[in-house]
Amino acid sequence: MHDIKRYLVPDSLDEAVRAAAEGDVTFLAGGTDLMPQTRTGARSFSSTLINLKQVPELRGVSRENGGIRLGALTTVTDVLNDVVLRKAAPVLSQAADHFASDQVRNSATIGGNICNASPAGDMIIPLLLLGAVVELASWNGEAVGTRTMPLEEFFTGPGKTQREPGEILTAIRFPVPGEGFTARFVKFGTRPALDISVVSVGIAGVKENGTLRRVRAAFGAVAPVPVRGRNTEAALEGKLLTSDTIRQASEATQEDISPISDVRASAWYRRELVRTLTTRILNDVSTS
Amino acid sequence: MTVIAKETLIGKRVPKLDAPPKVSGEARYLQDIELPGMLFGKILRTDRVHARILNIDVSAAKALPGVHAVITAADTPNVPLGIGRDNPPLKGDKVRCIRDEIAAVAAETEEIAEEALRLIKIEYEDLPAVFDPAESLKEGAPVIHDKHPDNIPFTFEYSHGDISEGEKESDVILEEKVKLHYVTHCCMGVSGIIANFDSEGNLVVYSQTQIPFMYKKDISPVIGVPPEKIHVIQPVIGGAFGSKLDIYPFEPICIFLARVSRRPVKMVFTREEELVASPTRQPVELTIRGGAKKDGTLTFREVHTVHDNGGYTSWGATTPFVIMQTVSSLYRVPHCLYKTTVVYTNNPYSGSFRGYGNLQATYAVETHMDKLAEALGIDPLEFRLRNAQEEGETTPQGMRFHTCGFRDCLTTAAEKSGFREKHPAYKSGQEGPVKRGVGIASLLHVGGGAKIYRTDGCGTMLKVDDFGKVTVMTGSTDIGQGSETVIAQFVAEELGLPIGSISVINNDSEITPWDVGVHASRTTFIAGKSAQLAARKARMKLLKVASEKFDLAPGQLDLRGGQVVRAEDGEALMDLGKLIRSLHFSTKNDIVMTSEYYEPPSMMQDKEFKGDVSATYAFGTQVVELEVDTETGVVRILRVTAAHDVGRVINQMGIEGQVEGGIVMGIGYATTENLVVENGKVMNPSFRDYKLITAPEVPEIDMTFIETMDKEGPAGAKGIGEAPAICISAAIANALYNATGVRFYELPLTPEKVLRRLREAGGNGA
Ligand SMILES: Cc1cc2nc3c(=O)[nH]c(=O)nc-3n(C[C@H](O)[C@H](O)[C@H](O)COP(=O)(O)OP(=O)(O)OC[C@H]3O[C@@H](n4cnc5c(N)ncnc54)[C@H](O)[C@@H]3O)c2cc1C
Repeated sequence: MHDIKRYLVPDSLDEAVRAAAEGDVTFLAGGTDLMPQTRTGARSFSSTLINLKQVPELRGVSRENGGIRLGALTTVTDVLNDVVLRKAAPVLSQAADHFASDQVRNSATIGGNICNASPAGDMIIPLLLLGAVVELASWNGEAVGTRTMPLEEFFTGPGKTQREPGEILTAIRFPVPGEGFTARFVKFGTRPALDISVVSVGIAGVKENGTLRRVRAAFGAVAPVPVRGRNTEAALEGKLLTSDTIRQASEATQEDISPISDVRASAWYRRELVRTLTTRILNDVSTS
Repeated sequence: MTVIAKETLIGKRVPKLDAPPKVSGEARYLQDIELPGMLFGKILRTDRVHARILNIDVSAAKALPGVHAVITAADTPNVPLGIGRDNPPLKGDKVRCIRDEIAAVAAETEEIAEEALRLIKIEYEDLPAVFDPAESLKEGAPVIHDKHPDNIPFTFEYSHGDISEGEKESDVILEEKVKLHYVTHCCMGVSGIIANFDSEGNLVVYSQTQIPFMYKKDISPVIGVPPEKIHVIQPVIGGAFGSKLDIYPFEPICIFLARVSRRPVKMVFTREEELVASPTRQPVELTIRGGAKKDGTLTFREVHTVHDNGGYTSWGATTPFVIMQTVSSLYRVPHCLYKTTVVYTNNPYSGSFRGYGNLQATYAVETHMDKLAEALGIDPLEFRLRNAQEEGETTPQGMRFHTCGFRDCLTTAAEKSGFREKHPAYKSGQEGPVKRGVGIASLLHVGGGAKIYRTDGCGTMLKVDDFGKVTVMTGSTDIGQGSETVIAQFVAEELGLPIGSISVINNDSEITPWDVGVHASRTTFIAGKSAQLAARKARMKLLKVASEKFDLAPGQLDLRGGQVVRAEDGEALMDLGKLIRSLHFSTKNDIVMTSEYYEPPSMMQDKEFKGDVSATYAFGTQVVELEVDTETGVVRILRVTAAHDVGRVINQMGIEGQVEGGIVMGIGYATTENLVVENGKVMNPSFRDYKLITAPEVPEIDMTFIETMDKEGPAGAKGIGEAPAICISAAIANALYNATGVRFYELPLTPEKVLRRLREAGGNGA
C-alpha cells in the first residue's frame, strides 16, 4: 500500500492512456485479483494507481457488424444478466454462472480476468471457443492508438501477456456464432461453489449430420496459459462423433496439455479429469 | 380471577438470545473494541522450521516513528507455557516450527507495526528438521527439545483383559492402519486479544478464552502477574470449537507489549496468520487390530496410535484420553489394549478441537467394525447391535451408563434411512460411473462433563430484582453454542418467568463465579444444572415468603407468568416484583439472591485411566447416503440420518443447530478440509485453498433425538456439543465402500484421493 504515490480516476480513455504513458502504473478494475495479490505480497503496486472504472469507453456490451463487443469493464454479473449474450453465446453466460460468488462477480471484470492471465481464468476458455480478439489502446505520442490480436496469442505465461505496460485492454470482440454452433464449458473445482478451477474444458464446433466442423477446443489450468487444444481439434474435425472418435479425441487431449502438480491437484489428476470431462462433453454433444 | 396455566419452555424452539444483537451488528466482538491510546501489536514469526537463532537485530524497528515497543525473548521472563511447559512465548535460542514467534512490535497503527516487523533482521543457523513422526523416533533423529532427547513428550497406555485370550477366542482377526490429517477450526472470528495495565499494575485482558478462570492461573507465571491482579473480560466470541482452551504465545506477547509500552495493546490475527498460527486437530496414525467370533461377538481390540505433536505441546497431545474411551467402551470389548506415542516433529502443533481425538478414534473403530461385519458375513447394523452397550452397564474402563440410548440410536437411524434395504441393494452392484452407497457409524462421548481436574464444577449467582427481572451470573462461557439461552431457559422454568426477563452475565471474571471452562460438551449439563439449582433456591425462597403471605404451604403455590399463583387452580395471587419488594420495603431486610456450585458426581480416572469420568455419556448413530462419481472421484453426500441420545432436548432450535453444524464440520473433515503441511510449511493458508464446506454441499439432514431422560442432567439433558461431528467421517467411508467395494484409509476424501484410491484398488481391493 505504501508504494502508491499517485491515485488517478480518469473519466475518458484519452486521459487514461495519457496518464499511463507516463509509466510505472498499475491499473485497477474490479480489484478482485489485484487486491489479494498485493495483500499477500505476491505483487506490489507501481507508483501510480489508475482506477479504470470511470472510463466510459471501457463499458458496455454492444452488437456491431456481425460481432459482439464486450467492454473491458463488463463484470461477470453483467455477462450473466445480458440477454443478448445469453442468446448469442450461452457458453459465456454458463461460464459466468460457475464463476466465484455473487459478491466477487459483481466486481470482477472480464478485462481483469484476461489481463490477470491466470491459466485458470474462467472467462477465457469460452472466449477462446468463440474466436475472440482483444483490443488494446495506448498513447502513441499524439493520440490514442489501438491494436487488436487474437486472444489465444495474447498470453505468454502465467500472469504474462503481450500487453505493454502502458496499454489498456479496452474490449474483447468475437463474431456471433452461426447456425449449428454448439459449445460446452465444464469447470471442475473440488467443490461446487466458490472454487478456482482445478481444470476446465471447453469444446465447440458446428454440428452437421453427426459430425463436428470448425472445431475449437480449449483447456484451463493445465498449462502455463489457457490453451487451445489443436490435437483434440484434429481428432474431431469432420469426423462422425462415434464412440471411437470420442475416445481418440479424449486421448488427444493429453498431447495438448502440460499440467503441473500444486496444492489444488496433481498433474496426474488434472490429466485424468481432462480426459474424462472431454469424453463426457463429447458424449453429450453427440446425443443432443 | 386471573388464571395462569403452567407453561414450559423446555424442549421448545427458543431463538438464541444473542441472535438479534449478532444479526443487527450490536454485538461487540474483540475486533470492535477500542481503548483510548490503544496501540496495535504484531508478531514476527519465523519462516524456518528448525533453526538456531544467532542474532536478532531490532534497532531499525525501534527507530521507526510510531513504534512504541519492540520486544524479543530477552525482554521477557521467558517462562514456557502449555501443558508440556515447552513453549516460551518468544523464542530466543531456537525455532522449532513455522509459526514460531521471535519478536513483537506495538505501534500506533497496524501498518506501522507491519513496517517495523519488516525492519527486524534475524540470523539463523538451520538445523536438520524432521516432519514424519516415524523418522522422529529413529535413533539419531534431530532432537527438537533437549528435555526430550527421544522426541517423545508423552506416552499413554491403557488395557483391560488379556489380548492373547481374545485372540484365541477369535474366528476372525483384522488389522488396518488409518492416517488422519490436519484440519483447523476456521472460527469466523480470528484470534485476538487486548491487554491493558492500570495505574496500580492490575492487568485487564479482553480475551476470547474458553477458560476465563484457569486462564488467570495458567498465564500468571508466564507473565509474572499474580492471578488476583488479572481481570479477564470476554467480549462476544466469534467461535472457538476448542481452539481457545489453551493459552497461545500471542497472548502473553501482547501483555508484554502493553507492559513495555504502558499503553493498551490490541492484537488481531490476519486470516493467513490464523491458518498458520492457530492450533490444529491432531494428525494421528492409528493401527487397529481386533477380532470377533462367528456369532458376531467382539473378542478383543488393540490400538496403537502415533500422534504428530509438532514443535510444542498443547492440548492435542492429550487427545488419547478420549480416543481410549471409544476404543474401550463404545462397544463391549472383552480384551483391550491401547498405546500411544506422542512425537515431536518440526510441524505445526495441535490443540483441542471439538471431538478431542474422537473423530480420529471413531474413524478407525467404525471402519474396522464395518470390515469385521463383512468378514463375518453379518449385516453391519446387526453386528453393531450385537456389541452395543446398554443401560446399566459399567464398562471395563469404569464408565457407568446410567442411561444409554445407543440401541435406539442404531435402529432409529437405520430405519429412517432405509439402511437395511439400501445397504444390500447398493452392494450388489450398480450400472454406470456414478454409484450410490450407504454407511453407518456410531459414537460415544462424554455427556456430563469430564473430571480431568479435581473439580468439574460451575458456579452461578442469581439475583431477582424488585421488578422480577433476573440476572444470572454464570462462570461458563458462551462461545456461540447457545449456552446463554439454555441457562436462561432453566432459570425461566424454575421461576415461571418469560425468557425475556432473564439476563445472563457470562463474560467478566470479576463478576462471575468460578467454572472449569467450556470443554467436554459440559456447559448445558453442568452450568445448566448449576443455574437450575440456583434458581430453585430462589424459587424456594419466594414460595416461602408467599406462603406466609397467603397462608398456604409452599407446595400449594407456584410461580407462573411473573406471578405467584395457587398451584391447584393457577389463580394469580401476587405479582412477583411486588412480592420481592415486600422483602426490603419492610422490616424483613432481605433481597432474593442465591448461589450454587454444582459439582457433578463423576470421578477422576486412576493411574490406569479407569474411572467414571463423566456424570453421563452421549451416544449417537449417523447414516450417510452418498453418490460417488467413479470417474472423477467426486463424492456427493445426499442425506444424513442422525439419531442422538441427548438425554432430553432443552432448546429444539439450539440442538438442531448443534447437530447440523457438527455434521457439516464433520463432513468438512471427511471430504474437503485439509491444512496442507509440506516440510513443515502450511501450503494453503487462505480460504481459497483451505476448503470449507459451502452451502451447496450441505446434504439433507434428518435428525431424531432419543430422549433417555438422564437422572442427573438438568431436566434430563446430556451434553451434545461435540457429538454430532464425531462419527460422520466413518459413516462416509463406510458408504463409499458400500458404493465401490473399496476401503479408504486416509482422509480427507477429496475427489483426487478418492479417484486415486479407486484406481489403485482397481475396484476389488479392501
Ligand atoms: C474469492 C475469489 C474467487 C474467485 N473466483 C474466480 C473464478 O471462479 N474464476 C476466475 O476465473 N477467477 C476467479 N477469481 C479471480 C478474479 O475475480 C478474476 O480474475 C476477475 O475477473 C479479475 O477481474 P478484476 O476486474 O477484479 O481485475 P483486477 O484485480 O482489477 O485486475 C486484474 C489484473 O488485470 C489488470 N487489468 C484489469 N483491467 C485492465 C484493463 N482494462 N487493461 C489493462 N489491465 C487491466 C490489473 O492491473 C491487474 O493486473 C476469484 C477471485 C476471488 C477473490
